[in-house]
Amino acid sequence: MLAARASAARSASRIARNARKFATVVDSAGVKVAAADNGEPTTAVTFLVKAGSRYEPKPGVAHALKNYAFKSTDKRSFLGTVREAELYGGVLSSSLSREHLALTAEFLRGDEAFFVDVLSSFLTSAKFTRYELTETVGPVCEAESTAALHDPATHALELAHALAFRNGLGNSIFATPGHHVTAEDVKAFAQSVFGAGNVAVLGTGIEAGALEQLLQKSLGKFSSSASPSSTPSSYFGGESRIGAHHGPQTVFVGFGTAGAPAPELAVLASHLDPTPSVKWSQGTSPIAASVPAGTSVRPVLLPYSDASLFGLLVQGQTTADVKTAAKAAVDALKTAGSLKGEELQKAVAKAKFSAASAFDVRDGLVSTVGPKILSGSPASITDAISALEKVDASAYSKAASSLLKSKPTFVAVGDIASLPYADELGL
Amino acid sequence: MTIAGPLGVSFASTIRRNRTLYRWFKPLSDWYANVAGHRKVGLKYDDLLVEERPDVERAIARLTPREQFDRAFRFKRASQCSVLHDNLPKDQWIKPEEDVRYLKPHVVDVVKEDLERAKWDNIEVKRTR
Repeated sequence: MLAARASAARSASRIARNARKFATVVDSAGVKVAAADNGEPTTAVTFLVKAGSRYEPKPGVAHALKNYAFKSTDKRSFLGTVREAELYGGVLSSSLSREHLALTAEFLRGDEAFFVDVLSSFLTSAKFTRYELTETVGPVCEAESTAALHDPATHALELAHALAFRNGLGNSIFATPGHHVTAEDVKAFAQSVFGAGNVAVLGTGIEAGALEQLLQKSLGKFSSSASPSSTPSSYFGGESRIGAHHGPQTVFVGFGTAGAPAPELAVLASHLDPTPSVKWSQGTSPIAASVPAGTSVRPVLLPYSDASLFGLLVQGQTTADVKTAAKAAVDALKTAGSLKGEELQKAVAKAKFSAASAFDVRDGLVSTVGPKILSGSPASITDAISALEKVDASAYSKAASSLLKSKPTFVAVGDIASLPYADELGL
Repeated sequence: MTIAGPLGVSFASTIRRNRTLYRWFKPLSDWYANVAGHRKVGLKYDDLLVEERPDVERAIARLTPREQFDRAFRFKRASQCSVLHDNLPKDQWIKPEEDVRYLKPHVVDVVKEDLERAKWDNIEVKRTR
């Protein structure tokens, strides 16, 4: 019954008809531009640059580059940028992932000329002065790293990436005080990645044509640059334990694959996700019933351009609870490959919903559509949904069993004397 | 010394722009720089800037570690000269070509930043559309 309704009412074409349409064009500066105006009261423009920690020549450089955003350029000083943006009532932000650096400006309609110019002047004429590194960028990097690594979940995922992919994707996105990054390092990295071909511009609440015109004006003399070099990712896996005396006890059990991310993994993640769809109830995931109260199990699916990491993050107050929950999670993961019939349809529907709802919010758009636009592949909601619709029992069980054949990535953060080892969980 | 900003009043740019004035003043200023005596105790002219000011302090912090080390060394050597009531041996004097304004560009930057901050603090916003 569910299958019949799913195919009729929730088909990809129907979802796509009402979804935001992104017109992808290449403007004269060679930058890929995608924009959609759905009548939002505010406009947001994001410059997505292939400058994540994966491509950094030296640890910590990408993080420093992220914090150099909106500092002094040839056009205006750091203070001038901040004060002028405040007068316009806009918000400037930068964020870093393992593959991309995103520079975002959110502002009221009508102010796009100024904010697009602020964003593009960072790409074309940032000064990267030494004193900014010591006075503002360095301390901010240090504070961000300390705060992020104080969170056991973030720390566990950082360690998991290092174990799973070693170099490239395994590089930490956080600079630590031990990383001796100089302004020259950051400048050289910026010059190698800031160029046409490595930058995609995404706009919401603005017409593609208008955005393109503004970019032609502000990025006029934008040189093209080669794609930053990185070795293709391969998956390794391993085990690591770090003692920590703050926050919940944390265990991460993960598996990875090299190659383009498969839609089957999204189905697997939504099958195992114990979050209930209705408040105050228990989810129907096989894990949900055997997780002790106060302990959480969260499926983590991190797709990258040429690899993906899938895992379960178990957090709880006591190590005994975490061990019980992790054991249940590993058992569920091992039997997850034999999913078929309505159970599989349910998981596919859930995965389709989360894929579709990512297109609803701006952050989701930047993280899902952005990388696709940058790599030149079609980035429409139809493709994302229809790829999930094509998942059948045989493809799914094949993907799940090949995933489980790889060496597990196991990370324990917390009281390492009593947190379980990988072999105790049956890995 | 510190009237009108950390660098004091200077007509240098005006004089340098006028060729006649420059030809008159250049020998005079060279003579004065030698007579002032800071080179004889191993100091550069920028070492004499009054540093007990927030802006100059910030400018000093922007020097490279090497420049800061050299500056501290020159001060130590000069205070030893002061203790001995003597100048350095002539071969250790700062030569005119070594007496460069290593701190001035940073001070100018800091002053410019402070002025810009004052401008933004007191700006009057007018709606144009």
